[in-house]
Amino acid sequence: MSNLLLAALPRNHYRALLPRLTPVELVFGDVLHEQGKPIREVYFPTASLVSLLTLADGHLALEVGMVGREGMVGVALALGIGASPVRALVQGAGPALRMDAKHFREALDASPALQRAVHRYTGTLIGQISQTAACNRFHVVERRLARWLLMTRDRVRSAEFRLTHEFLSQMLGVRRVGVTVAASALQKRKLIEYHRGNIRIRNEAGLQAAACACYVAAR
Amino acid sequence: MVTAGGIARSQPRENRLLAALPDAEYEILRPHLEPVAMPLGMAVYESGGAQGYVYFPTDSIVSLLYVLESGACTEIAVTGNEGLVGISLFMGGETTPSRAVVQSAGYGYRARAAILKQRFESAHDVQLLLLRFTQALITQMTQTAVCNRHHAVHQQLCRWLLLMLDRLSSDEVRMTQELIANMLGVRREGVTEAAGKLQADGLIEYSRGRIRVLDRQRLESSVCECYAVVKREYDRLLPYALQNSALPG
Repeated sequence: MSNLLLAALPRNHYRALLPRLTPVELVFGDVLHEQGKPIREVYFPTASLVSLLTLADGHLALEVGMVGREGMVGVALALGIGASPVRALVQGAGPALRMDAKHFREALDASPALQRAVHRYTGTLIGQISQTAACNRFHVVERRLARWLLMTRDRVRSAEFRLTHEFLSQMLGVRRVGVTVAASALQKRKLIEYHRGNIRIRNEAGLQAAACACYVAAR
Repeated sequence: MVTAGGIARSQPRENRLLAALPDAEYEILRPHLEPVAMPLGMAVYESGGAQGYVYFPTDSIVSLLYVLESGACTEIAVTGNEGLVGISLFMGGETTPSRAVVQSAGYGYRARAAILKQRFESAHDVQLLLLRFTQALITQMTQTAVCNRHHAVHQQLCRWLLLMLDRLSSDEVRMTQELIANMLGVRREGVTEAAGKLQADGLIEYSRGRIRVLDRQRLESSVCECYAVVKREYDRLLPYALQNSALPG
């Protein structure tokens, strides 16, 4: 299991980072970064999934990004910002590599290759945020739910995962009843199976057809 | 693309990002800055198209739009003289599936992406400044996403007007309701209704393609929190920017 952002670094740069990387198990529901609070550690998921959420009117409002093994949690540090602009919430339990904020800053200074990789990854996160803004505006809950399930599947690399309606309503920024209606519709079409907080994707091609085009664009 | 040449009415450092660069860095960039007229509707860059230039508005405002496969689009951020257009050119990565269109006519300067990327990679001060601008832009985009999801059209209209005002030197925005509806990604009727309400309450005056803000304070008290969140972040990250605005940071 590896993190793709780190794996793409030149060998010697990667090896220099290794002593500073601590393997950890991320637990479902853990908050890695709180919005507005200092970032103390950054995380490189290897087989876990982290949601970046933002608040509005004091409540969890919307997921604006999803980070799996293709990226890292804590890019704000690489932009020179010490406080997290988002809440980072573990959505898929599993292993990740953790690095101290201080060590990460030092590593950035020492490795232009790491800098470039993180900046490029920040660019893809910006793409996700923009798309979220547009997708939220135009696409109905059912299609967005289908997209969200597929994006999650791609990052946890499993067709089955744990989720509650409450959680989904926060991710999609809609009321719980909206999620319930959308999930039942997908279930009725035999695209997913939903049982007590467990979701299984039954028909991937069908779910792709049900998702908005944003899925393909963001992949 | 029309180059303004000698008739450009602005100096490069009317762009506050260029003004915030250390003098030595600015001197390196200056020979590469080319004045450009930025008329309303000009596409600064197109979806998927290669962009060879980074733009620094001086008195124009550029709208960053996200275009969906269906062709529907929505504004995700605006940039005026506090920043630049074309961050992906120094951040790296693929061309984004979005467009940048001039939303308020004026002038600006452009520089070849290669020179900016070169300074970004070799000058720490330049990198720091551009990264801070990038973070401020990310905050604006994030807040737009939240606002699109959670807030009513009249609040979004207030937010949009205030973002524009902060980047203009007057209290008048030249814009049709149809264009605003396109920017916000809502139906025109929604904008008409919201603008009508603001006008009836004496906050704005609306006439053919022009919106004049009469009572900025009340506009600020009608807007959702999204405006203040973005404003605070711009003030914090780019203390030099947005000096026109009145809302306390």
